Amino acid sequence: MIRVIGGTILASIVIVTLGLIGIATGGSRSLSSYLTLASILFAIGMFGFLARRNAISMLMSIELMLNAVNLVIIGFASFLPDASANPQTGANPHASGSVIALLVMAVAAAEATVGLSIILAIFRNKKTPLVDEYDAMRQ
Amino acid sequence: MTLPSTVPILGIPWADILFALFAGTMLASGLAVVVMRDIIRCGLAMMVCFGALAGIYVMAGAPLVGAAQVLVYIGAISVLVLFAIMLTQTKTAPTRLAFQTQAIPAAIASVVLVVVVLLAIGSTAWGATADQRATDTSAVATVLFSDWVLPFEVVGVLLLAAVIGGVFLAKRERGKDVLE
Repeated sequence: MIRVIGGTILASIVIVTLGLIGIATGGSRSLSSYLTLASILFAIGMFGFLARRNAISMLMSIELMLNAVNLVIIGFASFLPDASANPQTGANPHASGSVIALLVMAVAAAEATVGLSIILAIFRNKKTPLVDEYDAMRQ
Repeated sequence: MTLPSTVPILGIPWADILFALFAGTMLASGLAVVVMRDIIRCGLAMMVCFGALAGIYVMAGAPLVGAAQVLVYIGAISVLVLFAIMLTQTKTAPTRLAFQTQAIPAAIASVVLVVVVLLAIGSTAWGATADQRATDTSAVATVLFSDWVLPFEVVGVLLLAAVIGGVFLAKRERGKDVLE
């Protein structure tokens, strides 16, 4: 019980502290706040990819990095001036950002499918999900 | 009775409070994904992170991307990851050592990266940024099926190839397990 309450309090403190980053960089109406959030998320994903031993953890970290890139795309698209429309079709530049983000999402889904099935295939041979025990090439 | 447009005492707009809440949830659960030892909890924290990110997309004026985030990431990819976690958990696998020996250099590299990128963001003058505006979904549809129709079709082929490749790779080879 005490652990649950303490964990909740700790989690809310962390959330508020990290949320202050969002306000300090200008809130929801400034481009730099989106870029700041995305760069921090990308760094978190990079750390997870480099530091974790479990192959699935590394794949989850890759997903975090892909989401950070998507956030950058959406952030830039939502602050584009209207003058950057396509001169031939007059297409909405903000909509193009959404389309790019959706395509990135589809590619991320394909990547997750193939990556997880590769991990499952390796797991069937090596009986471990830890990447530092995949040392067949070392011997 | 209507709410005032800013928070009464602090003078901060409500949108900023919501944005900070989403941002804090996203970053905290993202940290939880990479530092927690129990990998099932990592997967659940990843779902929370994607949900908060969907909220940020909606606040950035891209509601369709937010909906697709919920459908694709929380609905599909997280479930896939959780299934893979359950399929690869062994009783003999050590859960104590979650990190490799290179964790400290990795942490230093990540902090250096974030500091460099933040300095670059802060020192760049984003000259011609317009006011933020929402994207209406019909405009997304128009653009998707006029300017972006070729990438759309190519992504469809890519997804088909990925599904077939995934089935082929994860398929149990017949007779091999019996021999072992």
